[in-house]
Amino acid sequence: MDELVARALDLARARGAGYADIRVVRTDQERFSVRNGVVDIISMDESIGFGVRVLVDGSWGFASSHDLTLSEIDRVASLAVQVAKASASLSKEPVGLGSPVTSRGTYTTPIQVDPFTISAEQKLQLLMEADKQMAVVAGIRSRQGSLVFIKETKTFASSEGAHVEQTIYESGGGIQATAVGHNEVQRRSYPQSQGRQQGCAGWEYIAGMDLAGNAERVASEAVSLLTADPCPSDIVATVVIGGSQLALQVHESCGHAIELDRVLGAEAAYAGTSFLTPDKLNSFRYGSPYVNITADSLRLPGLGTFGWDDEGVPARSMPIVKNGEFVGYLMSRETASLLGLTSNGCMRASSWNRIPLIRMTNVSLEPGTWKFEDLIADTEEGIYMEMNRSWSIDDKRYNFQFGTEIGYEIKKGKLGGMLRNCTYTGITPDFWNSCDAICNEAHWEMWGTPNCGKGQPGQLAHTGHGAAPARFRNVRVGVLR
Amino acid sequence: MIGQERCEAVLNKSLSLSRAEDTEVYLSVQDQGLTRFASNVIHQNVSHSNAQLHIRAVAGRRQGRATTNDLSDEGIERAVERAHQNALLMPADPDFKGLPGVKDMPQQVPAHDEATASCSPEARARVVAVVCRKAEAEGLNASGACRTGTHETAVMSTQGARAYHAGTFAGLINTLMSDTSAGWSKGSSWRISDIDAESLADEAVSKALRGRDPRPIEPGKYTVVLDPYAVDDILSALSLYGMGAHIVQEGRSWMNGLIGKRAMSPLVSIWDDGSDSEGWPVPFDAEGVPCQRVDIVKEGVVGDPVHNSYTAGKEGKASTGHQTSFSNWGTVGPMATNLFMGNGDSTLEGMIGSTQRGLYITRFFYTRLVHSRGCMMTGMTRDGVFLIENGELSHPVKNLRFTQSYVEALVEVEVVGNQRKLIMNESGFATVVPALKLTAFNFTGVTV
Repeated sequence: MDELVARALDLARARGAGYADIRVVRTDQERFSVRNGVVDIISMDESIGFGVRVLVDGSWGFASSHDLTLSEIDRVASLAVQVAKASASLSKEPVGLGSPVTSRGTYTTPIQVDPFTISAEQKLQLLMEADKQMAVVAGIRSRQGSLVFIKETKTFASSEGAHVEQTIYESGGGIQATAVGHNEVQRRSYPQSQGRQQGCAGWEYIAGMDLAGNAERVASEAVSLLTADPCPSDIVATVVIGGSQLALQVHESCGHAIELDRVLGAEAAYAGTSFLTPDKLNSFRYGSPYVNITADSLRLPGLGTFGWDDEGVPARSMPIVKNGEFVGYLMSRETASLLGLTSNGCMRASSWNRIPLIRMTNVSLEPGTWKFEDLIADTEEGIYMEMNRSWSIDDKRYNFQFGTEIGYEIKKGKLGGMLRNCTYTGITPDFWNSCDAICNEAHWEMWGTPNCGKGQPGQLAHTGHGAAPARFRNVRVGVLR
Repeated sequence: MIGQERCEAVLNKSLSLSRAEDTEVYLSVQDQGLTRFASNVIHQNVSHSNAQLHIRAVAGRRQGRATTNDLSDEGIERAVERAHQNALLMPADPDFKGLPGVKDMPQQVPAHDEATASCSPEARARVVAVVCRKAEAEGLNASGACRTGTHETAVMSTQGARAYHAGTFAGLINTLMSDTSAGWSKGSSWRISDIDAESLADEAVSKALRGRDPRPIEPGKYTVVLDPYAVDDILSALSLYGMGAHIVQEGRSWMNGLIGKRAMSPLVSIWDDGSDSEGWPVPFDAEGVPCQRVDIVKEGVVGDPVHNSYTAGKEGKASTGHQTSFSNWGTVGPMATNLFMGNGDSTLEGMIGSTQRGLYITRFFYTRLVHSRGCMMTGMTRDGVFLIENGELSHPVKNLRFTQSYVEALVEVEVVGNQRKLIMNESGFATVVPALKLTAFNFTGVTV
């Protein structure tokens, strides 16, 4: 492997690259899915390849291949240089990377039990038991449970002398029950919606979920939702938002908005830009004084946890929003140098055949001081909404609308009747400035988002978001028509 | 590209190594170059090659899967054995009737263009330069992407499937921005010569210039004239959330309760046809079954969903050839990925000219399902929204959020455009769609 890596870097330099790096990545993935009592997927997938990234005359080029042979290394390194030269034909300022990065070392996700050592039979048994418990509930039309395990081994080396090797483990799982009534379809999920909860962790993470122990409740809630009252229509109300939904709110309205590449226009034609322009750094009230948001790539079991990013920059923790003030971006070496700053290690590629982009690490809303029970008791009237069902936000990350799987009335400080088809909408800074209470550490959890899309060609990143339930005033809810 | 001979050698090797009762092997090979630009310069520029081998091994009514991109003999053998072992772990699935017996070879469809296959990074840079120079000349900021590439798909099975297809793709996406506006255009084809960078740039420039200083407008119901880009979003969502038979069988589709009934304007006809060269043809699916034309909606009446062999088997029908290769999470269900909407007889100008008061919309953005019944969606307008007053574009307006059933939107179709546009996306999905005028569309918010 070292021979291949050195050959790529040497050849790229010899062909004119001022900077070159290479990533060699192998990904092994196991997937299991049980649907309505039938095992419908057992799949074991592997992908291996390498990508060479170069700067020639201050412009980027990248090429990649699945064929790890010396001749292909030569072809791909040469192609990367050719691509960079084509980039240079339409460029202005040469790309700067700031100070050299010379990281060396190894990192492995700390896990208790390697999920790849657990038998397929045991994994299927866990899903079948959960399925059986969901099937107890009359009125469920479809049931699904799934598990995923990923092991990614990655070597990164650069012409500056960096050389790091990492092994990242991920484990994920979840169940879903869907009930169908007259002109109504309702779904409940556990522990997280969109299929699963996922973290940088081993088998112990799955064992701790107790999928079977939550299966009957989830199914019962799906059936109850069919006849629950609809969310009040188009009113302004106090809302308490549960941790898993709030995690996605952080992801969409903060995490993407602080990616410095999109702030500077690199994603303008696709994912969009951001309202958090550089003039707002350290001078913009993003949220109320209760709002503290941190980006932390050291925080397990978050999916944005690693040793070094894909530019070899070490993992770290940094404030993004401090007592409501906007104080930090997610940055690469290139974008940080444009602001006279230093990269905080947020460049990640989804695969060997994609370039690193600025991606969220673990961008989390820090816990407050409230017990959940006290927060509800302190709320005279409102709606509690939990677990995401739909999400949409505009290209500047201002105007958002979310729907949740379930809601409950709050009346005179108590949770009341169940509500279906809950939605809320708002403008990002208005929303976060309306936050007046956040629950404490006991209610805080790290949620996984393994499907964050960005870039062309498209990349799906795995990101983490810690959150606890929080209260927001004067929120527009119930937008269905 | 690795060519038909090499593809078939990999598939034959895979079948020869399999110890399963039945085996299906599907090979997908892609080479792609993509040149991305922002702020009038190229800022990302990539090239990649990959080959993914998908194995499905069958043991009675059990099936196991494995994939690999290691096409060495050892890599193939490992994947084949894993798939077989996975099948042996499965309990029997009474609804699985085995691999589809494929007797008819798919017809070859022209979809490969040598100029596109050999397009260099330098050639892509020249395309991008056309857009950036036009933007600079108008004081605008250009962003976008130009991509070209080849894809090969090949299938073999012990039940007779044997198919190979090679195609190309080319695309140019442009967003041109001023301080207060944006204009958009997108060109797609399997022939690079169809991508007219000059006219695509002009289209986006025109909207960006005309869209300056947009004014807010009150949300509510408006008559809308939709560019084909917005219509593409409607068809894509209707496909994703309901045209596959597995969604219908689970009761989660917008088609449930509507099959055989008039549910849209009689001006609306939608069909899927993977063998029509006007689209982005791939004439067979991941099971090697020839793609059939399926009428999803005919003159407003809802037809049938698309099937793979599994969903068809549950209903005693034959597969329509719509097994996808890219649904890699959960049940791999059938999808309609080559959609067409019938055209009408009006020009875009005619639609605007016949509108007393309404909105002209370029495209939708970040659209998501709010409720499956009726395909209730929310999303934003983007890159050019204009108020129409007395048959003319009056002034640009700020972007709006909508919350709208896409099925009900197609009830409101009043006029259908006479020109259709091919719109291809990265994941292999394509639509051929006209502009539409809808009597009413529901906007529920406005952005800052």
